[in-house]
This record gives sequence, C-alpha cells and structure tokens, in this order.
Amino acid sequence: MAEELIRLKDLVKIYDTGAIKVLGLKRINLTIHRGEFVAIMGKSGSGKSTLMNILGCLDRPSMGHYYLDGIDVASLNPNQLSEIRNRKIGFVFQSFNLISRTSALKNVELPMTYAKVGKKARRERAMKLLDRVGLLSRAEHMPNELSGGQRQRVAIARALANEPPLILADEPTGNLDTAASEEIMGLFSELHDEGATVVVVTHEENIAEFTDRIIRFQDGLVISDVRKGEEGSVV
Amino acid sequence: MLFENMSMAFSAIKVNKMRSFLTMLGIIIGIGSVISIVSIGDTMRSLFSDLYKDVGVTQAYMCVGYWIDDRRMSDYFTLDDMERVKEVFGDSISYIDSAASTGAEAVNKKTKVNFDFTGIDYNYIDVQPVDMVYGRYLNEGDILGRKKNVVMDVDSAMLLFGMENAVGQTFRTDLYGNVDEFTVVGVYKKEMNAFQALMMGGRSDRGSAFLPYTLLTWPNDYFYYLRLFASEDVDLKDFFDQLKAYVANLKGRNPEDMYMETAMEQMNSVDTVMGGLSAAVGGIAAISLLVGGIGIMNIMLVSVTERTREIGIRKSLGAKTRDILIQFLTESAILSACGGVIGILIGVGLVSGIGMVFGIGAVIRPSVVILAVSFSAAVGVFFGLYPASKAAKADPIDALRYE
Repeated sequence: MAEELIRLKDLVKIYDTGAIKVLGLKRINLTIHRGEFVAIMGKSGSGKSTLMNILGCLDRPSMGHYYLDGIDVASLNPNQLSEIRNRKIGFVFQSFNLISRTSALKNVELPMTYAKVGKKARRERAMKLLDRVGLLSRAEHMPNELSGGQRQRVAIARALANEPPLILADEPTGNLDTAASEEIMGLFSELHDEGATVVVVTHEENIAEFTDRIIRFQDGLVISDVRKGEEGSVV
Repeated sequence: MLFENMSMAFSAIKVNKMRSFLTMLGIIIGIGSVISIVSIGDTMRSLFSDLYKDVGVTQAYMCVGYWIDDRRMSDYFTLDDMERVKEVFGDSISYIDSAASTGAEAVNKKTKVNFDFTGIDYNYIDVQPVDMVYGRYLNEGDILGRKKNVVMDVDSAMLLFGMENAVGQTFRTDLYGNVDEFTVVGVYKKEMNAFQALMMGGRSDRGSAFLPYTLLTWPNDYFYYLRLFASEDVDLKDFFDQLKAYVANLKGRNPEDMYMETAMEQMNSVDTVMGGLSAAVGGIAAISLLVGGIGIMNIMLVSVTERTREIGIRKSLGAKTRDILIQFLTESAILSACGGVIGILIGVGLVSGIGMVFGIGAVIRPSVVILAVSFSAAVGVFFGLYPASKAAKADPIDALRYE
C-alpha cells in the first residue's frame, strides 16, 4: 500500500461552549493513504464537519495527534496552519466560496499569491488549471457570471493551484443539480485517477458511491469504514 | 505582494464608489483646510515682509521717551544734532531726516485737495526708490535753501491739477499757519500691488507730496523725532543699540529713557503673530483630519464585517494574519492618501485662485504639502489598524460560516 498521507491518533475534539462541554470527536483513529478517494459520511451532528475542519487545518484537535504528510498539526500556531493549508490542502466548499467581484483567473491565482509565486508563473499555471476544468474561455468572468457547476469547477482549479497532496471537499455538490453534481464528481474521479488524494464529506449516498472508501460517522465516532469490494467492517 | 495589495485595495474602493468618496470627504476637507489656512498665513507673512522691505527694513524712529515727565528743551533734536549723528556713524547711516509730516489743504484756483506733506532730504529716493515720470526729484539746493518745491505722485497731480505732467504748476497751502505758494518740480510713479495699496492707505481723494524737511522745521528748527535708515550691511541690532546709547548721551538721558521703534522689530512681531495665528487656526483645521480619520475607521469596520466571509476564504487558502492585516491597512491608507491628494489639489487651487484674484503670489510651502500627505496616510494607517487587526484575527471557521 502507498504511504500514509493522513493519520489520526486518539484524536479528540471538545467544544467548550462555557456552560457545557460538548465532545465533538471521541478518540478517532484513522489512516488515509496517498491516492485514496474517500467519502466521509454522516448525519448533521455526527462529527463529520468537525473532522473536516480538523483535516483542513482550520481547527486544532483538543487531544491526540493529526499527522498530515508527516507533520503533527496539533502543535502548530495559526500562521503555520495557514502555511499548511496553503501548501498541503486544496479546499472545495459547498457554497463555492469564490471571492466575489474577482475574476475566475484571479481566484485561481490567489493561493499562489499567498505562496509568493511570481506573477507570470502564477498566471500560466492558473490558465492551465482553468483549461483542465474546461473553463479557459471564462477566465475573465466574475463568479456571478458563472453557473453553479462552473463556479465549482473554478473552485476545484483553485484547490489544485499549489499542487497540494490533499483535496478536501465539503459537500461539494450540495448546491448543485444532479447533472452538475455528476460532472463535479466525475472531475474528482479523474483527479483521483491522475493520482490525487481526494476526501469528500457528504451526506448523499449517490455522491459517496463515486468513491473507493466510505467512512461513516455517528455521534463523534467512526461506525464503519468500508472499501469498495470489501465486506463491511464495523470499527 | 505590495502591488497585489494595492490593486486589491483599489478594486475594493471602486466597488463602493460613493461610500469611498464620502469616507474620503473628511480627509479631503481636513487636508484642504490645513493647506489653505497655512498657505494663506504664509502668503500674508510674505506680503508683510514685502511691505516692510518697501517701507525699509532698516528704518528706525527715535525720540526721548513719551513717558518721561520732566520735559526739557534739550529733549528736542536740532539740525546740528542730526549732523553730529551723521558724522559719528558715517556709512552706517544711509539716510536720516526729522520724520516730519503734516496734513494741509492744497489749493489750485478752485480745486481744493487735502494733502499729506512729508518732509524729506534729497537722497530719500535712494532708500525709497520711485520712478520719476516728469521733472526732477528734490535736490540738495532745495533742502539747504528751504525752497518751496514739491514732488508728488501721478494720482495726486491728477487730483489737484487734472493732469499728470504738473511740473511747473503751483498751488497754495497753509503750513503751520503760513500760507505760501509751492511749485511742483517733479511727478513720480510708484508701483504697488493691490495689497500694498490697501495697507499703505492709498485713499483716492487725498493727495500726497514730498517737500524739503527743512521747511517743516521752520522757523524754530526743533523737532521731536529722528528717522533714519541704516545701511544694508550693518548688524541692525548692534547698530541700533549703539545709536540709542549715543543719542541718549547727546540728550543727557539714559538709554532706557529713549524710545526707539524699528521696522525690524515690528516685522518680527507681525511675523510672530501671523505665524502663531496660522498655527492655531491650522491646528483647529487639523482636528477635522482627526474626524476624517474616525470616519475611515468607521467605514473600515463596516467593510471588515461585510467581508468576513472573504477573510475566511482567504485564510482557508493560506492567507496569514499578516497578509490580511496588510490588505486592510493598504486599503485604509490608500483611501486616506487619495483624500489627502484631492485635499491638496483643492487647497492649492483655492489659495492660488485667491492669490490670482488679488494679484499676489500665493506662498505654498512644499514642506506643508509633504507633511499633509504623510499625515493623511498616517491617519489612514493609524485608524485602519484596529479594523485591520480585527479582520486579521478572525477565526477562519467562524469567518467561513458568516452569512
């Protein structure tokens, strides 16, 4: 098997809301290897969003360890986390999260701007990525001039900008119709076939069907972890 | 990255054109008024200094103090005293006379005009140059011979005789109780700008003329004042101190009993007053800059709140605290600096316009302009600091969830 990209060890997340402490994640142990195509499923409140935030280095675990590409993320400060997000993770959000009144091209360039890539190299790579997602002709369009599916494809191009080892998609088809959803998932499959590691958080079975491995969450715990073609195993 | 930030800031400013303009307005008004007030003050100062140059910066009046109770006959100056002073101080004095002047009605047939007569020596033209247009200036013979000859300016000649070339014309006037006939020997012209004319009191219904100072001391040859112009190259303060001591001794008085008024001192005090005044009013105008700065802070806070989600997105893509901080600081600094530049244009335009209307050269100090721009940018940075740090500290998860 390929090398480990993500390893969660006894990971706990507690939300301290003042009056009460809520256990978001309860001692999670999980490993994802390079090149995997994984779906994380669960109802709302199951802990999948919490996991998504931690995997995305937007949040830090309360206890335990999260190793991303060999780095123990739990020990990093906010600026170091920004650096990790910039280099190691490509985000795709449910609501696209493109910067408004900013062209598709500029949106794709943005992660490279923060990575201090030169202007010319940035532009070339952004154009190449827009071409890859089939939107070269829309490079100068503003987000509000694009359809939902097109916006999500711009977001995917942006996620690929710094060639991160991990693509993290949070309900990427939640705001899309069936045709656009299939198109986006098709794009993820292609990226996976090209060797990318893709983790999709979703609550839709038909979306999870596109992936090779489905991890189900309930009440902050992993209740099942099934690879395609394997027997269901309860953890 | 700086260029990136500037282009981001400009597009953010362009998105809300009206709002950005209104925000800038505080700075525009602040900078505009500081520049115009300080420049108007500077212009007035330079006008006064020109005026004093015109009057003669080296000029001084002296007499025995008006506060002295035991008046003596010897307190009055005589022509001999003047000669002695001239001898002792020699080249340090470029001109000396008795500062005598009087007002009287000049009569030419049926025309009667009130005149100011100033008694002068023949070399007065060296310290107060005028352009002779007709005839000649008063000469040594006029002075020593106490000739009843006068020179007057073109406007006065027009008033009294209805013509510019009044050389050879005569008029009658009553000086100290003696009605005499005087002859015009010369007519001169003096260039003045509107401000100088105003300050010199160029009243159009009143004439003015120069006559020998020896006439205004007649018949008893006593006078109360000494007026003199020091040479350009002497140290004025030293010279005036020595002069005062000498004249005091001559009159049997202590130096502190002498009254002395110098153009230099007057000029300095006018300068101090004007400088203080424009600093004070400029300070008040600077308060509007503060208000403008608060306006910028207010709008930046609104902008940060509105763009919380954008901040979250940027952070998720790898923006560090510093990147966000600089982005918003750049925006407020540019907002403020643009206001500053517009304010300068308005202030400079206003002052130059006023100067043009009055026919005087406006004085705009580059240091004031540079200071104003730097100050406005500093205002932008200072008042942008709090909103920007608020933006930079935003938690990416909360910011991303913000609707």
